[in-house]
Amino acid sequence: MALHDLLLALPITFATLWTILLIVVEATAKRAQLTFSLTSVGFLILITMMLFPSEQGYAFGEMLRLSPYSQFANFVFALSGLLVITLSQSYLAKENIHFGEYYIIVFIATLGMMLMASAAHMVVLFIGLEIMSIALYVLAGIMRKDLRANEAAMKYFLLGAFSSGFFLYGISLIYGATGEMTLFKIGIYLQENSATSLFWIGLSLMMVGFLFKISAVPFHQWTPDVYEGSPTPSTALMSTASKAAAFTALITVVLNVSSQTENNSNWIFALSTIAVLTMVVGNIAALSQDNLKRMLAFSSIAHAGYMLVGIVAGSDAGYSAVLYYALVYSLMNIGAFGVIALIEQQRELTSASDYAGLFKEKPLLAGVMALFMLSLTGIPPFGGFIGKYKLFAAAVESGLSWLAVVGVLASAVSAYYYLRVVVFMFMREPQAENQFEGVVLNPTLVLIALLVFLLGIFPTGMLRFAGEAMKFAFNM
Amino acid sequence: MTLTLITFLPLIAALITLLIPKEQKQTIRLVSLLAAVGQVILAVVIWQNYNPSLAGVDDVSKFQFVERAAWFSVELGGYTVSADYLMGIDGLSVTMVILTAIVALVGVGASWTIEKSVKSYFVLYNLMSMSMMGCFLALDFFLFYIFWEVTLIPMYFLIGIWGGKNREYAAIKFFIYTLVGSVLMLLAIIALYASVIDPETGRNTFSMVAMANQQNFISGSALAPSEGNLLRALAFFALFLAFVIKVPMVPFHTWLPDAHVEAPTPISVVLAGVLLKLGGYGLLRINFPIFPEVFQQFAWWIALFGVISIVYGAFCAIAQTDFKKMVAYSSVSHMGFVLLGIAAVNSLGMSGAMLQMFSHGLLSPMMFLLVGVIYERAHTREMDKFGGLAKHMPVYAGFIMLAFMGNLGMPALSGFVAEAFVFLGAFAVEQTRLLSVIGTLGILLSAAYLLRAYKAMFTGERKPNAAYEVEGHHGEEHAHFHDWKGKVDLDGREIALLAPLAAIVIIIGVYPAPVLDLIMPSLNRVAEILSAAANVAMK
Amino acid sequence: METVSFILFSFLGALVMVGSIGTVWSRNPVTSALFLVLNFFALGGIYLLLEAQFIAVVQVIVYAGAIMVLFLFTIMLLNLDDEQALKEKFDLQKGFGILLGGVLLVEVLYILGLKINLPQKSTTLTPVEIGEAKNIGRELITNFLFPFEIVSILLLLAVVGAIVLAKKNFSPNT
Repeated sequence: MALHDLLLALPITFATLWTILLIVVEATAKRAQLTFSLTSVGFLILITMMLFPSEQGYAFGEMLRLSPYSQFANFVFALSGLLVITLSQSYLAKENIHFGEYYIIVFIATLGMMLMASAAHMVVLFIGLEIMSIALYVLAGIMRKDLRANEAAMKYFLLGAFSSGFFLYGISLIYGATGEMTLFKIGIYLQENSATSLFWIGLSLMMVGFLFKISAVPFHQWTPDVYEGSPTPSTALMSTASKAAAFTALITVVLNVSSQTENNSNWIFALSTIAVLTMVVGNIAALSQDNLKRMLAFSSIAHAGYMLVGIVAGSDAGYSAVLYYALVYSLMNIGAFGVIALIEQQRELTSASDYAGLFKEKPLLAGVMALFMLSLTGIPPFGGFIGKYKLFAAAVESGLSWLAVVGVLASAVSAYYYLRVVVFMFMREPQAENQFEGVVLNPTLVLIALLVFLLGIFPTGMLRFAGEAMKFAFNM
Repeated sequence: MTLTLITFLPLIAALITLLIPKEQKQTIRLVSLLAAVGQVILAVVIWQNYNPSLAGVDDVSKFQFVERAAWFSVELGGYTVSADYLMGIDGLSVTMVILTAIVALVGVGASWTIEKSVKSYFVLYNLMSMSMMGCFLALDFFLFYIFWEVTLIPMYFLIGIWGGKNREYAAIKFFIYTLVGSVLMLLAIIALYASVIDPETGRNTFSMVAMANQQNFISGSALAPSEGNLLRALAFFALFLAFVIKVPMVPFHTWLPDAHVEAPTPISVVLAGVLLKLGGYGLLRINFPIFPEVFQQFAWWIALFGVISIVYGAFCAIAQTDFKKMVAYSSVSHMGFVLLGIAAVNSLGMSGAMLQMFSHGLLSPMMFLLVGVIYERAHTREMDKFGGLAKHMPVYAGFIMLAFMGNLGMPALSGFVAEAFVFLGAFAVEQTRLLSVIGTLGILLSAAYLLRAYKAMFTGERKPNAAYEVEGHHGEEHAHFHDWKGKVDLDGREIALLAPLAAIVIIIGVYPAPVLDLIMPSLNRVAEILSAAANVAMK
Repeated sequence: METVSFILFSFLGALVMVGSIGTVWSRNPVTSALFLVLNFFALGGIYLLLEAQFIAVVQVIVYAGAIMVLFLFTIMLLNLDDEQALKEKFDLQKGFGILLGGVLLVEVLYILGLKINLPQKSTTLTPVEIGEAKNIGRELITNFLFPFEIVSILLLLAVVGAIVLAKKNFSPNT
């Protein structure tokens, strides 16, 4: 472990050291507020680090691969992490679970995601996945006294463990089939030899693991229950950054086996079937949800479907669209869950009708929420539109116009349930006077709304970042 | 800079409005008024400096006031996606820009009586006004799409918050209908971008101007003009649906009566005055010139649906007892003329269609303002709750008469010129001759429902169950409405809103040449493009 | 030799399966835990067959020894009774699940039964040497140093998580 490796993998080195610092500080000072501040500082440093170009290459003997690709992904993770913890504070205090450990676990989860995005070796990929998953299991169950949260955590843990098992089994079969665990060496092997059925089983099993994490149909059943039961800020992290991490890792794997998947009609058929099912089932099921968290859970399934369209497209344009969408989606979904978390603190207000009259009492908050809903629908001039446009354009480019048609129609359906929230907030009278008296708008939400808006009007910078990332995703 | 300024002036007003405390309602209104007046002044400047001899349509150099800047350009996997901020004016848009400025100003005036959340209202109103203007000026399809969608959001809130009893239903219906259309449009945009290159830069482009020239299609691309390219027909219908939902064409019109009935008066004014024109404008500017040979194939069907809209809309209007609903259906009927005129594919029919858009853009705001006036006073729009109003509201009755006459195509008013041109144009072409004859039925039917309405409300005696009371002795009775501060006939503000519209309607009816001068070169060019495709198709 | 190892493998494989099924099936937690021990032992045997003697020993010492003893202690301390018999019904969903699982199993077996040429890794070490603690240790701190180190973060996380979830009277501090 030369110094050079440590410097090359600076984000990960830094995050590791910072984790230890956080644990030491929390153990000695025992002040959640302090841990919160330090964690935010850690995230801020990471974000800043990602915005500057840095050296690229393999670190630790082809275990990690640092490139603009991992940089973009790490940027998304660190930004999501930062936003989630700033939105968590008051919620945790209200629920009486304001532990400093919460922030540490969020930070470690982010570290796990960073490992996934930078992994060049299947073992590192798996360890990253496990770090992220275990952190999320804990975050789901952190409300120990709440029965539903316990159920959610248990369900998530059991099913997650199964999916990890599949994933690991897949890795071992691929190792058996190719004799390699380093991703690019697997790629080289596959270019020189034809893939055996053993390899395909291995890849399918790995896909099961990935599809579970991104909650694609038919591996989605855990999503609504877990999202509903978990503390809302944890749900925000679960539905955004962890999906983004799974997608970035998925892209790395698919890129390295692309000699087998490109123009492979079976592969495209299987994946596009899953994408269509995910979009359709997610959107249709979301239509009938009254509970807002469940609604967003199904909508997050649908969004995973849109992103899968980019993966099916199998072109650089498609992958970079997925990256960009992961960023925008993370922002708007964290925003939406952030608003829910604020309202929930007031009382157990979770169904759409509880939001009636929000506009009258808290116009800015209602406006921000409406912006997130419209952006999730994919209406310009918000970021969600540019993201969807890129995804579907990539599908058309790759000759999968029918997939784009399904996607576009599915997102038209989604307008109904997103707008329902807007209808309640803006057009209905409140159920009781001063219902939202104690709700204080978190400035972070306004910041997120601004970002979502800017990503819709001036997407160039970030799109370029994502495009640049894809250039370095495969070839060095 | 003129076009940027005229587009984003309302945005500036919206931003300023955000800074004003919400108690200062009058200041907020004045800011919006100022922006709207500014837009009208700029529109006049554009009109005065517009050179009618340049055609535009498929040649950027023949557009005027062109503004061009790279907006975003991103390389994604060896494939560049770039959109421009490209704006310009030609004969297709110049009248629409003037119309938008006028209607937006009238709308602000009509919004003066809005008291509920004034600040939010005017912010949204200005956003809507900005995006409407942007739609008519954008020449980059991507930019157009953004403006097109942005009209949706404020409109949705304006109907949904400030509307009547059933406002939620109407707002959602409006939104979903238009959204379905626009997502289809988005697909067509994606495919078009991949198929068209800009002759100047040699790169793929969103420019509608480049798309209107068939030579700019990459041969072998998805939408390349070639024999039996089914994808072109599909893309054509994707766009067509998006635009005719907005027009609206029967059978996609059902959102319109609901939206109008629930919308507050100023929003109805803008909706009927400008938003419906977006559909017709989109057909003329985008849909037909880009896919001329598909259009030629289906021209008869389009004319047929135009006539169906005319007749069916008129029949629906006859069946209404609600004044506003009747006016809404009459909008459906009159927008049918636009389809019929374009489908005639000659410059006469098209100029009729364009004039009809302009004329209806003035007349329907008048009608909705007038509906609003009576509703504000009587709190009902049922036509048989009145009777004999002409005696008590002579000025009002005068304006109603003018608007009705204009609408039913009375000579010397703008509606007559427009509809006459449409019929002449459609009659001149053999394939639409029969349809144009059937279409004249629409004029008869409009006369029927408009005159019936006039008779029910304004002539005769006050009905026993009327929404107003009459006091005083025989010969000097005066009417008064409950809870309406003693106001009966039009007040100064209302006259100020109606009079300019009425004046323009009369001027164009008597002397349509100025408008025709503006639009003819461009329409001739469009007609050339369309008939060239017809000739190719016949060979 | 081939037949001997085949017989041994079949025997140990059967034990692994009996162990896992028994773990899930038995209602008494202690029996369940003991079945798991059986499973671990059999797995250790399979490792031995693969000439991975170090892993086999670790498997037995760490899992069957240390961890299972802890498990049994916990079970006894908590005084867990027999699990209530769950009302089990054969419903459509479950039938479908079993069907799909069976199909997957058959598919995997079928493909594994195919004669597939597996890539051979060239190495100077004999199979016996590969399984030695010395060589595993060397691999761990040379080629696999990074995963080895990063696992410590995973363990750290597990500790923090366990504390958050399990500590008694854990009150928030501000």
